Parts: sequence; structure tokens; C-alpha cells
Amino acid sequence: MSDVFSSPFFGISLSILAFWAGEKVQKRFRLTVLNPLLIAIVLVTGILLLFDIPYEAYNEGGQIINMFLAPATACLAVSIYTRIRLLKENWLPILVGCTCGSLASMGSIFFMCRLFGLDEKVSLSLLSKSVTTPIAVSITERLDGVVPVTVVAVIITGTLGSILAPAFIRLFRVRDPLEAGLAIGACSHAVGTSKAIEIGETEGAMSGLAIGICGIVTVLFSLFIS
Amino acid sequence: MKIIKQVGIIFLLCWVSLVIEALLPFSFPASVIGMILLFLCLLTGVLKIGHIQEKSDFLLSNMAFFFVPAGVSIMNYLDLLADSVVPLLLICVVSTVITFAVTAWSVRLTAAAMRRWKR
Repeated sequence: MSDVFSSPFFGISLSILAFWAGEKVQKRFRLTVLNPLLIAIVLVTGILLLFDIPYEAYNEGGQIINMFLAPATACLAVSIYTRIRLLKENWLPILVGCTCGSLASMGSIFFMCRLFGLDEKVSLSLLSKSVTTPIAVSITERLDGVVPVTVVAVIITGTLGSILAPAFIRLFRVRDPLEAGLAIGACSHAVGTSKAIEIGETEGAMSGLAIGICGIVTVLFSLFIS
Repeated sequence: MKIIKQVGIIFLLCWVSLVIEALLPFSFPASVIGMILLFLCLLTGVLKIGHIQEKSDFLLSNMAFFFVPAGVSIMNYLDLLADSVVPLLLICVVSTVITFAVTAWSVRLTAAAMRRWKR
């Protein structure tokens, strides 16, 4: 009987159902905190623990879904390419902003991990948490960190950034849409970008650009670690 | 056949980037190589957006879903995280504020410097 859970069909359909439920919940309550991915992770983990289904069985299907991560990351190139005019016109502020932002993110995380005396493996897994999940995950893999810690930290960061973005804009007196968009994208990647799109068209486009540029910049900096 | 072709193009691109990763003298994530490679293909016109439109829309718009299994594997690390939940959350909040502020200010300074330089 336990064999039936080892079929890839089980893991894949459970993941899809959980994510679909997550989207339903978000649509119903319209709260950014109720991130569909976060809900899906909690649901699937809960079901596996509740029915005592081993992770390895679920992962037969999980692996197949994982396979789509690399192609999805590659396609981020498409979203940069469609905004190439905006990138050409503002390449200097975009490059400077994303470089400084990525450095500030990694620097502040490094410093605080030392401050709290966090486990070395956990610290390395947090370093890339401000960039989009696929790139953050590849950085953590290279640094030999714990991938799921990265995934959860990335989602929490994105959700925070998305909720706090309007407050940040007032707090730091941001008036330029270019500045607002880049800052949102740099600190909270794709989840923040969905908020930036609501704020304005330029904000959304800039935030989308910042996802890719910050990702590449962070990968380059991470090459110097260890 | 159209979708199969698009899947073929993108999967081939991912495989080529694995080959490049294996050949590089330093370790660089293959998925980011794939992203740079695709960008160069689009830039040079080797590929047109139309060649991969539907497949790329599918991948980009469902991006979050593909991370469900990666996130679920956190259940194997619950004891590692149990002691550090509070610092973890604190790090997420503080670094988000710092990253936002530094990005905004550096963009502002650059834009101001460019205006002065043009005058």
C-alpha cells in the first residue's frame, strides 16, 4: 500500500492541489501574507507528516517539478529582453543601484548571521535571499548551504518587501518611479514586483529588470565567497 | 508540435549551459548560464521571442509553483531551524529595509550626478 505514494503522480498532484488551494486562499482574502507558495509548502509538509508519508516518496514527483526550475530561470532572460529599451536608456543608475543593493543585502545578512552566531550552513543559505528563488537556490547549492532554508527565506523576504514597499517609499521619500521600482525589485524580487506593477507601470518594469540584474550581480559576488 | 519545438529549444539551451558549466574553470550556476545564453541568443537574433513565447510564458507565470518541492524539503531540516527562527525572521526584516534604502539612495545619487555632469 505504501508503494502508491512513491508514484510520481502522487507528489505532482499533491503539489498542484496544494498550490491551487493556496491561490484560492489568496484570492479570497487578498492578503500578501497569504503567499500561495508558502501555503502550498505548509499544506504539503502537513499532509506528509500527518499521514506519515516519507519525504522520499513525495520527492519522486517533486524531482520532476524541480526539473522545470532551470528552464524557468533561463526564461528570466525573456523578461529582461522585452524591457531592453528601458535598460539601454537607464543602464548606469540600474547597474549602480543593483550593485549597491545586492552588496548591502549580502553584507547586512553576513553581519547579522555573525551577530546572532547562526549555524554556518544556515548563514550561507541566507546570503542570497534577496534575489529571485531560482538564482538564490543555485547560489546556495554552490556554497553547499541548505536549499529549503533559502527557498523559505526568499519567500518571506519577498512577501515582507511587497507588504512594506508603500511604507518604504514614504519613509525614504522616494519620488522617482525608476528609483522606487529598482529598490522594490532589489529587496523583494518577483513577489515585490507584483506590488510594484500595482504602484505604476515604470515601477513594475524597473522592478522586473532589477530581478535579473541583481540576480547576476549577486552570483558574481558569491563567486568570491569560500 | 509548436509547443514541443519550444520545449525542445529551451531544454536544449539548459543542457548546453550544463555543458558550459562543466567546462568552466570556476563554478558558476548552470541556470544563470542558461539565462545569459538565452539573452545573448535573443540579442543576436539567433532566437526570436516568437520561437519560445508560449513555453516561456508558461514557465514564467508558474514560476512560484515549481518551488513547492524545494520548499517542502524543509521538513528534513526542522531541527536545524528550530533554534534560529527568531534571528532568521529578524535578519529577513532588517536586510530588506537596508537593501531598499541602499538601492534607492544609490540610484538617487547616480541620477543626480548624471544631471550635474550633463549640465
